[in-house]
Amino acid sequence: MKTTTKTLALAAMLAGTTILASGAAQAKTADGKWLIYLSLSYSGNAWQSEAANIVKALAATPPFNETVELVEVISGTDPQAQISDYESMIANGADGIVSFPISSNALNRVVRRGCNEDVLFFMYDGTVTESCAYNISFLSGGFGENTAQALVNELGGKGKIFLSRGVPGNSVDERHTDGAMHIFNQYPEIEIAAEYYSYWDDRTTQQETAKALAAHPDVDGVWAQAGEFGVIQALLQANPDRLVPVTGENSAGFRLALANPDMQAKGLRGVSSGSGPAQSGFAFKIMMEILNGQRDALPDGQRNIEYPLPWVPADAVKVCEGDTFEEGCNVFTEDKVPSSFVSEVFNPELLPELSLISALDGLPTPGATIQPLPAEAVKLAPDMPGINCRGCDAPANLYELTKIEATVQP
Amino acid sequence: MMSSDTGTPERSARTEDTRTSQRISPTVVTVATIYGLVLVMILASRLISPSFGGLSQLETILYLSSFLVFCAFGQGLVILVRGLDLSVASVITVGGVLSASLMDGSNTGLLHVIPTILLACALIGIVNGIGVTVFNMPPFIMTMASGIIVYSLCLGFTGGTPRGFPAPAMNDFMQARVFGIPSPIWLLVVFAALGTLVQSFSSFGRKLTAVGNNPEAAYVAGLPARRLIIAVYGISAACAGFTGILLASYANGATLRMGDDYLLPSIAAVVVGGSSILGGRGTFLGTVGGAMLLTTLSTILSALGIGQGWKTIMEGGVILLALILLRNQVFDGLRALVMRKD
Repeated sequence: MKTTTKTLALAAMLAGTTILASGAAQAKTADGKWLIYLSLSYSGNAWQSEAANIVKALAATPPFNETVELVEVISGTDPQAQISDYESMIANGADGIVSFPISSNALNRVVRRGCNEDVLFFMYDGTVTESCAYNISFLSGGFGENTAQALVNELGGKGKIFLSRGVPGNSVDERHTDGAMHIFNQYPEIEIAAEYYSYWDDRTTQQETAKALAAHPDVDGVWAQAGEFGVIQALLQANPDRLVPVTGENSAGFRLALANPDMQAKGLRGVSSGSGPAQSGFAFKIMMEILNGQRDALPDGQRNIEYPLPWVPADAVKVCEGDTFEEGCNVFTEDKVPSSFVSEVFNPELLPELSLISALDGLPTPGATIQPLPAEAVKLAPDMPGINCRGCDAPANLYELTKIEATVQP
Repeated sequence: MMSSDTGTPERSARTEDTRTSQRISPTVVTVATIYGLVLVMILASRLISPSFGGLSQLETILYLSSFLVFCAFGQGLVILVRGLDLSVASVITVGGVLSASLMDGSNTGLLHVIPTILLACALIGIVNGIGVTVFNMPPFIMTMASGIIVYSLCLGFTGGTPRGFPAPAMNDFMQARVFGIPSPIWLLVVFAALGTLVQSFSSFGRKLTAVGNNPEAAYVAGLPARRLIIAVYGISAACAGFTGILLASYANGATLRMGDDYLLPSIAAVVVGGSSILGGRGTFLGTVGGAMLLTTLSTILSALGIGQGWKTIMEGGVILLALILLRNQVFDGLRALVMRKD
C-alpha cells in the first residue's frame, strides 16, 4: 500500500516536472522526493559553510525545491561520528549523500555498505579511497606543485620561505605539501625556514606566521594553504612597509590584496588558487542528474572527477560589480563579503544558478532554475594512491605542472 | 593571599626552618622563577635562530601572549574560587563575532559598542555563575554546556561566515606603536598591573581567596560567597569577550574557530603561573608569566623546523618541567639552601 502511494506521488511528480527520464531510480521518501543528506565535517569556517550553503541553495532552486528533501548533518572532526551518521542515513533510506569526508580511509566500509543498498555517495573537496563513491575534487589539479612553482618563479629560484600548512595528518594537506615539495626540492637554493600548521584558518595563520617571523624576519616568500590572508596581515604587522611574494588560496582578502597597487608596491606578488566551495554544488548537480536519469552512472572504480583548479594571478583579479561571477570577475569587495570569504564559490559554466545570497545564506537566487551541466563537464581525475584509490599506482606525471611553467631552471 | 605576612595553613604547620621564609615569600619566588624561565628560554633561543634573543622577539612574545593574558585573568579568578571556565573559547568567539557585526567596519558608536559586547559576554558568565552556585552544577559541566550553546548561537547567527569588520580605529590600535612599542603591549602592562591589584591587593581579591580556600568558612564569616562566585564568572566571560574584540581587531575579522586556541592554554597559563588548580591560591603576575612561558615556547618550537608531533611532545614536556620546578617542595629546598648560606 505504502509503495503504491509512493509510486503515485512519484508519477504525479514526473508529470509535473517532466525532468525525470524513464530510467530514473525510485525516490525513497514518503512524499516521493529524493532523500538527500548533506553530511559535513564541521561548520564554522567560511569555506565549510559556503560549500554547505551552495548545496542548500541548489536544493531550494526550482525544480529541485519540489523534488529534493535535503537534510543537513554535521559530524564534527571525528571520522567515527561521520561513520555513525552515514549508518543512520543509510538506515533512513537515503537516496544520496553529498559529503565532505573527514577521512580518506576510515569511511570506506560504511560507504561500501551504503553503495550495496543503492545509496549514491558524492564526496566533495576531500576524497575517499572506496571505489564505489564519487570523488569530486580539485586535488588532482595540482594546487601544491603549481603554486610552489609560481613562488619559485617569483623568487628567481632562491630564497628563504615559510610553508603555512593545513591540518596535520589530513590527506588534502599532505597532497598539497607533497606536490609543493616535489618542486621546492628541485631548487637547492630554496630554503624552507619554517613550516607550521595553520588549520586553514586566517587567525591561526596570522599568529603562526607572526611566530615564524620572529625567528626569520628576512623571509623571502610564503607558500600558504587556506588562511593565506593571515600571512599578509602578519607580514604587515611585522613590517608595515615590506611584503613578499605569497601564494595561497581563494579568500577575498587575499585576492583584493594581490590586486592592490599599494600592496604590490610593498612587494606583494603571487597567485590565488586552491580549493573552491563550488565543488559541493558541482557534486550535488552530477548526483541529481544521475538520480534523475539524465546522466549515466560511471563504472565503479572510475568515479574520480576533477574539479578544475582555480588559478588567479594578481593581474587576473577582477572585482565583481554584481552578486555573482560575470564577465570574468572573480572577487567581491569588502562591503559585500568578509575578508575570509572564499571567492571560488561560483562557476559560471557549472553553477550558473548561484549568487551571493546562495553562498552566504543558502537561499536560491530569485528566478533561477537548475540548468543542466554542460556535456563535457565531467573530466576524470588521475589516480592518487591513498587519496582517491586503493592499491593503485600514481601516474608518472602526477606532479606535472598544468597552470604555470618554470621560468627558473633548477 | 600569599602576601608575605601570612602563610597557608599547611605551610605554617611545617616543621622546617620558617624564619628565613619570612624574608622572601614563596609567591615572589614562584613568580620570579617563571620569569626567570622565560628569560632563559629567550636567551637560549639565540642558539636556534640568530634573530632570536633580542628585543624584537620579546616584542612578538609579549604581543602574542597579550591575548592569552586577557582571558587567563578571568580564568585565574574562576580557578581561584575552585571553578573552571570551559566557555572561554566560545565567549571569545562571541566577542569577535559581535565586534565584527556590530562595528561593521565603522568607528561610529565604538564607545557604546565595546561596553555592549563586554556586557553581553558578562551576562553569559553570570548565567554560568548562577548555574554553578544556585543550581549547584559542577563548573566543568555548566561552562561546557553554556559554551556549546553560545557557540551554536554564533554559528546560527552567522550561518558559519561571520560578516563585517571591526572598527578601523580598533585595527589601527592593534597596529599602532607608542614610544616605539606596540600599543597592545602597553595595554598588557596596564592590564597586568590592574589585574594584580584586583587579585592580590583588593578586598575583592582577598574575599575570593577566602572563598577559594574554604567556601563554608567564608560563608560563616559572612562573605556573600554566591554573589562573589557569580561575579567572578561574569568577569571571566567579560575578559574572554575583551580577548575576542582584540583578536578580531588583530585579524581584521572574526572566525568561529578564533577562541579554540585559548581554552586549554588559559588554564595552563594559570597553573604554570603557580596557581593551585584546586583554588584558593594564585597570583595574576604568575599567570602573566605562565602565558609568556607558553607563548615563548611555541615561538621557539615554531622556529625549530621539527615535525608537528615532536613540537607537541616538547610543548608538553616543558610544561611538565615548569610545573615540577614550581612545586613548593623544590622551592623550599632551594630556599633553605640559599638561606643557610647567609
